[in-house]
Amino acid sequence: MLLDRPAWAFWLFAGPFVIGLGVFSYIPILWSVYLSFFEARNTVAPTEFVGLRNYAQMLTSPAFLDSLLTFTLFALFIVPTTFACSLALALLVNQARWAQPLLRSVYFLPAACSYVVAALIWKLSIFNGVRFGLANTVLGWFGGDTVAWLSVTDPPWYWLVLVTLRLWLQVGFYMLIFLAGLQRIPKVLYEAAYVDGARKGWTTLRHITLPQLRTTSAAVLLLNLVAAYQAFDEFYNVLGSDGAYPPYARPPLVFLYYTALGSGQDFGRGTAGAVILALLIAIVTLIQGRLLGFGRDRT
Amino acid sequence: MSTSDANPARRAARGTGTAAQRSAEHRRRRTRTLAAGVVLYIVLVAVAAVFLLPYYLIARNGLSTPAEITSPEWTLFPAALQWGNIAELFTGAGSQMATGLRNSAVVAVLQTGGQLLVCSLAGYALARIPYRHADAVFYAIVATLMIPAAVTFVPTFVMVSSLGWVSSLRGLVVPMLFSGFTAFLFRQFFLNFPRELEDAARVDGLGYWGTYWRVVVPNSLQFFAAIGLITFIGSWNAFLWPLVIAQDSQAWTVQIVLSTYLTAQTIELQELFAAAMVSVAPLVLVFLFFQRYIVQGVTETGIKG
Amino acid sequence: MARRGVPPWSRRRFLQASGIGAAALVAAACGGNTGRGGGAAGTLTQWYHQYGEDGVEEAVKRYAAAYDKAEVSVQWTPGNYDTKLLSALQGSAPPDVFEYQTKADLVRAGQLEPLDDIIKDVKDDFSAASLASHTFEGSVYGIPQAVDTQVLVYRKSLLDDAGLEPPKTFEALVDAAEALTKGDRKGLFLGNNGGADVLGPVPLFSAGLGYVTDDHKVGFDDPAAAKAFGGLHTLFESDALLLGAPTDWSDPSALLQELTAMQWTGLWALPQIEAEFGDDFGVLPWPKLTDDGAASVPVGAFGAMVYAKGEQADAARDFVKWLWIDKTDYQEDFNLGYGFHIPPRTTIAAKADKLSSGPAADVVGFVEELGRPSTPPEWTPAMDSAYKDALSNIIKSGKKPETELKTAAETVQRELDKLFG
Repeated sequence: MLLDRPAWAFWLFAGPFVIGLGVFSYIPILWSVYLSFFEARNTVAPTEFVGLRNYAQMLTSPAFLDSLLTFTLFALFIVPTTFACSLALALLVNQARWAQPLLRSVYFLPAACSYVVAALIWKLSIFNGVRFGLANTVLGWFGGDTVAWLSVTDPPWYWLVLVTLRLWLQVGFYMLIFLAGLQRIPKVLYEAAYVDGARKGWTTLRHITLPQLRTTSAAVLLLNLVAAYQAFDEFYNVLGSDGAYPPYARPPLVFLYYTALGSGQDFGRGTAGAVILALLIAIVTLIQGRLLGFGRDRT
Repeated sequence: MSTSDANPARRAARGTGTAAQRSAEHRRRRTRTLAAGVVLYIVLVAVAAVFLLPYYLIARNGLSTPAEITSPEWTLFPAALQWGNIAELFTGAGSQMATGLRNSAVVAVLQTGGQLLVCSLAGYALARIPYRHADAVFYAIVATLMIPAAVTFVPTFVMVSSLGWVSSLRGLVVPMLFSGFTAFLFRQFFLNFPRELEDAARVDGLGYWGTYWRVVVPNSLQFFAAIGLITFIGSWNAFLWPLVIAQDSQAWTVQIVLSTYLTAQTIELQELFAAAMVSVAPLVLVFLFFQRYIVQGVTETGIKG
Repeated sequence: MARRGVPPWSRRRFLQASGIGAAALVAAACGGNTGRGGGAAGTLTQWYHQYGEDGVEEAVKRYAAAYDKAEVSVQWTPGNYDTKLLSALQGSAPPDVFEYQTKADLVRAGQLEPLDDIIKDVKDDFSAASLASHTFEGSVYGIPQAVDTQVLVYRKSLLDDAGLEPPKTFEALVDAAEALTKGDRKGLFLGNNGGADVLGPVPLFSAGLGYVTDDHKVGFDDPAAAKAFGGLHTLFESDALLLGAPTDWSDPSALLQELTAMQWTGLWALPQIEAEFGDDFGVLPWPKLTDDGAASVPVGAFGAMVYAKGEQADAARDFVKWLWIDKTDYQEDFNLGYGFHIPPRTTIAAKADKLSSGPAADVVGFVEELGRPSTPPEWTPAMDSAYKDALSNIIKSGKKPETELKTAAETVQRELDKLFG
């Protein structure tokens, strides 16, 4: 039968996927590169070639550069914090002899929540700026004044809102991954260490647990970083209002959204920005992969 | 940090001194262990309370009267549960909630089913079908992994809008089916699939197609369930792509409905929280009933990815 | 989601009519794909954004059904109306008739049909500000449907208790806000961004300035503007301004929940405020900053427009004339039957009982006397976002007004040169 010939069978199996990937990944990317060289306001079939002007405008636009900086600071903070919190939580849960499955479920439950719903809770219930917000209620118990968490920029309390939101959503998820990693570490390693006189706690953590978690850690770091690149949902919903967004804490995707698809409808600059961002991310991913040796023994 | 007395090797290694000394040492260690255990559980329960707090807030606000929410004195729980808040979502004039829930369900089911089908087939081909250009195809897929899909939403929008798919079910579902990451996970999984089963099927005269459907898939259902659930959750909670593509309110998913009212800022707090409660309830149920598969899905994605 | 009385989307309409969400439309995308919107040949499509008041949707459909020269299919659009409209005009399915604001780049792209011939006989009947917002280079591109505006609402009793007069200058406003701040209640609410988003051109008007000058130059690169925004920053830093309320300026909740004594809000909020406080409230225009300036009243008006590249542009124009020029009873019904708008035609406004007494009558007076279009047609989205960024940086982050305004002015001038260069 024809379909038993490997070449035919291969395309029967992989054909739909490859076509889809072509149409919805490769063609759009190429088209965008094309668009980014044109004046393309309100159109995706532009006629006015402008060379590198869109790139020049984006790279000199304080708003775009700010958004890259915002994202970098956010990533530098959120990635290690999420990593540390989820690892710590996994270590604790791993010690629990009693009710471990229940605890694990509770910690993992935030993952059922969408960023939109979390933004709603954080913005309107926990960190609203008036007396009936939870944070202000608690402050009130200790005699503090109400704080307008999302309105003031000095100090930038909005970061507290955004960071705690993301931690809540993510920590349980990464904890599960760490927990699976911990439970795969052979018990004999610890037993051997105890025989050698090692004490529980810091020593075994440093010399056995962490080295054994190396692959898991690399995976968590990478997933975390990828998630940070895609920061959009909670920023848009917490800080945006009615088609507008303030000029601070504006990550690149939010900026591109408003440039290309919001009231701007400027596909030339929007796609130029997307190309710049994609290149940056690809470079960072490659460097990180190299540094962590991630993926080396994977295929 | 915790109990260590279950370690005979260690006890034996350090078991010098008199019996009395050993017993005192033993008691001391037990007390310390017990204290450590108590501290551990206090910490764990405290953290659990913090993790559950937002769910409490959704329920409290969603079932309160507006006056209870905005009261300067914190009301721990509404005096009378206002289930009417939820009914109002579905009966109120101009309510988008029912449409949103239906769209989300349809999109999540189609996207999950479609992605499992398309990506598993591709993963199997890459893992098992010998073909001289298979490597090229594989690298083309891996290359897309370096750029997260969200970053290319502008390009993808340009493509999809020129197909005329804006505000359509196709536009919401189809572009999301071709996940390089999912195909990659399936490939890794099928690489470890027991070859003997496939060989037996071939001896029975089955071709690639028959082997796949009669032998490989039935023996991989748990993996399909794990990946499927993760996809389903991701699709139900997705925001950016539906925001970009579902411009007509008839095509809004539940997340867009919520976001529209959240950022519109003329807000009925109790209804907004009731809506959030309704939107999150299906996933909490999925979590409770299919926890095992989801945990497996998470660890598969995390570790193999 | 169901809502109480006040039209939630009125504010949205105002914002769009005043340029926050404004967008440049659309050079015909995709070549020949300027296909007709939804309906069968001979059917006109007409788009509205979602009005929050009960009954408007039914009303506009009723009007359309009453037209006997053509079939008109009405599309009602909740959510982000401008993105939706812009996207549609970009090629997929543009409407024949739609409500929007007149924008220079839209005109330049040949998207808008000039409507001078249908409005010429009754032009004088339209209020000056509403007409100005739809006039570009001498031609009218939109027939104003309804006028919305924003005002400062204050609680009379609270001002009396504090022995204060309604503030007539910016300085007096700041003093009043401070005097009225007590315990949980703040003196003034300008929205959760301290006015950086909502006020738009208002502080400029109060200093005798505007977005753009008549000879197409930036109008706000001026020490007086710097002073106006610097003043708002001082207010932002003071304890007198309410920030972080769960609802924004467009919703009277902050006032109703007594979180604030004065609030900048829209005309549409007045019925709800009246229901709560009876006659214990008054309205004011935004007070003047300097003697060169004036108390300012921003006016926004959505207009009915015709898509010039549609195959049925002529039929669409006839329909617009019928509905928004000839059928004055429908115009009256549209403005006064459901929500709370000022009819753009002065003869209709004069007849309206609703608008003849109390604070509503005051507002009508402000609009007639002081109203200025909140955004002129040449104010494009790119200009608006540069300007709003600058305002946020000055008011909220305390950056130096002069430098921020200069940066915004560069972008705005570049855009202006593109339009008029």
